[in-house]
Amino acid sequence: MSEATAKRHMGLRASRAVSNTFIHVLLIVISIIWLIPFVCIVLQSFRVENTGPVGYIIPHQWGTDNYTRLFQTDFPRWYTNTFIAALVTAVLQTVIVLCMSYTLSRFRFKMRQPLMRFMLILGMFPGMLTMIILYRVLKDLGLTQANAVPGLILVYVASSGMGYYVSKGFFDTIPMSLDEAARVDGATRAKILYKIILPLSKPIVIYTVLTAFMGPWGDYVFARYIAFGTSAGKNVAVGLYDWLNKDQISNSYTMFCAGGVLVALPVTILFLFLQKYYVEGVTGGAVKG
Amino acid sequence: MASVKLTDVKKVYDNKVTAVHDFNLEIQDKEFIVFVGPSGCGKSTTLRMIAGLEDISGGTLEIDGQVVNDLQPKDRDIAMVFQNYALYPHMTVYDNIAFSLRLKKVPEDEVYERVTNAAQILGITEYLTRKPRALSGGQRQRVAIGRAMVRNAKVFLMDEPLSNLDAKLRNQMRAEIIQLRQKLETTFIYVTHDQTEAMTLGDRIVIMRDGIIEQVGTPQEVFDTPVNLFVAGFIGSPQMNFLKASLIRTGDSFSVSLLGVNLALNPDQNEVLTRKGIGSQEVILGIRPEHTAVLFEPDQNAIECTIDVYEMMGSELHLHLTDQNSDRIIVRLPTIDLTREQRQHLSFGNRLFISFPAKVMHLFDPETEKSLIDG
Repeated sequence: MSEATAKRHMGLRASRAVSNTFIHVLLIVISIIWLIPFVCIVLQSFRVENTGPVGYIIPHQWGTDNYTRLFQTDFPRWYTNTFIAALVTAVLQTVIVLCMSYTLSRFRFKMRQPLMRFMLILGMFPGMLTMIILYRVLKDLGLTQANAVPGLILVYVASSGMGYYVSKGFFDTIPMSLDEAARVDGATRAKILYKIILPLSKPIVIYTVLTAFMGPWGDYVFARYIAFGTSAGKNVAVGLYDWLNKDQISNSYTMFCAGGVLVALPVTILFLFLQKYYVEGVTGGAVKG
Repeated sequence: MASVKLTDVKKVYDNKVTAVHDFNLEIQDKEFIVFVGPSGCGKSTTLRMIAGLEDISGGTLEIDGQVVNDLQPKDRDIAMVFQNYALYPHMTVYDNIAFSLRLKKVPEDEVYERVTNAAQILGITEYLTRKPRALSGGQRQRVAIGRAMVRNAKVFLMDEPLSNLDAKLRNQMRAEIIQLRQKLETTFIYVTHDQTEAMTLGDRIVIMRDGIIEQVGTPQEVFDTPVNLFVAGFIGSPQMNFLKASLIRTGDSFSVSLLGVNLALNPDQNEVLTRKGIGSQEVILGIRPEHTAVLFEPDQNAIECTIDVYEMMGSELHLHLTDQNSDRIIVRLPTIDLTREQRQHLSFGNRLFISFPAKVMHLFDPETEKSLIDG
């Protein structure tokens, strides 16, 4: 190696080291900024010397009082409400979305294209637009206030077929000849979906389940007005937020933080285990799986 | 083990494009039939209609005397091998082969017996626990064939099964399919665009173009007596040479005049032409490269040509020649009989003389493109 090339190599290595360092520093700073609210909430939830908001982060006195107090309130009820709504929605929505996607990916029927376009346009309207009419309908059906959970499930699941884009994109990358081979082998359409397509689409199934679970789990707006005026019909987001009003905040702020930690826990655990699939699912529509 | 009968079978797509026009064919029990033609000729569509993967727009399809137009693929008792193998990627080779049997709820010990038996015949026993992605192209193709084999189906359909393999493997698999066919004794329908595959595998060949059957016949028939220009050009490699010539009738005998050379036809050909009432007319003369006699000296019955391209193939030479009309003629010449002087003579720009015996001449009408003496 001549001296000139050696120098050039050195130069390249140095510049790469500089850019690597820069990128890493930037990422560390971004991660810290991103993590601060979470760390704050976790720390506040263990603060026992004062139950209201304070001007410091590290608790002076540590304890689990906030968590024990939490279970003497309606919180367990709200948690159960949210969990049931999210779980049922996740199951139903996943089934509907996957069936819808398979149909749109594999079957050729007359109104297929218009239907897809129609759903695309319909999806552009914000869901909030339907709020008032939905409330009326659910109220007439007796699915508000104390009965908010089935009402919410209905709202969450009703339009789920429109969320077919990502999974249809993924199914489109699975060769049609696999379906055809299975049909010749004697499989029905349902068996093809269940035995061939879904096992090949694990990332997208997990992605669908996660997104279907996350929607109801963190929903505030619909849950707020459907549970209007009752405590029994609230979900965690609504219930916890109510503790932040003027009258209650001094007594409930740390409890609110403890509730926040408990809400984040199952989702965090889910993501830790399924992160790999989730990323594959998000990119799956674009890159062949 | 069944016969297949297609009567006026038609395929019209939603956008009004007709892919297959009135397809009529009777396939005998245990026959090996090959659909061959250029891409877009409707051969795969026809096969897929037989499989039940495409709707039949018109006509009837019978398998073993039963009309199956409206039956689902699974109810037609057919097995199919796809061009891209279509193996289930998440299943092992064993599970791939066993899939159809399990769907039919065949007892697991019988599944085991049939799968291992098929694997043994195809030489893939050691790969049974592997996933398809850990196999080479040839092995995947064997698995795909195995999957079709265990079904003991009435009809075995193959859609360009060898076209994803490299040339060497393709030759090997072709030989294996011939052997397999002898073992299985079932009806085969095989689609390919490769005329060599069609010639070597088929009991009969169906040559298609633009959704229409051009000719059906044994490999020898379609090679010896092509009914039109398309079939003549499609079958045989290198392809048949076509030269503009004149047919001259004198009483009941005919001759072909080409570049001042008169080539008399033989009595059989004279008889056919007389029977058809054909007079003197312009024709297209078809000559296969292997039927051309090459002379190194001028002859009154030979055409003078110049050598353009000289391709050494080992046992034979392919010479690309140009005649005085600037028509291109390809000639196959075995190297074994050539003297040293002759070999030296065969180089770019040198003159050669070619002639063709009457019995290998094919004559086509330039208007209708139909053969005047064959078929």
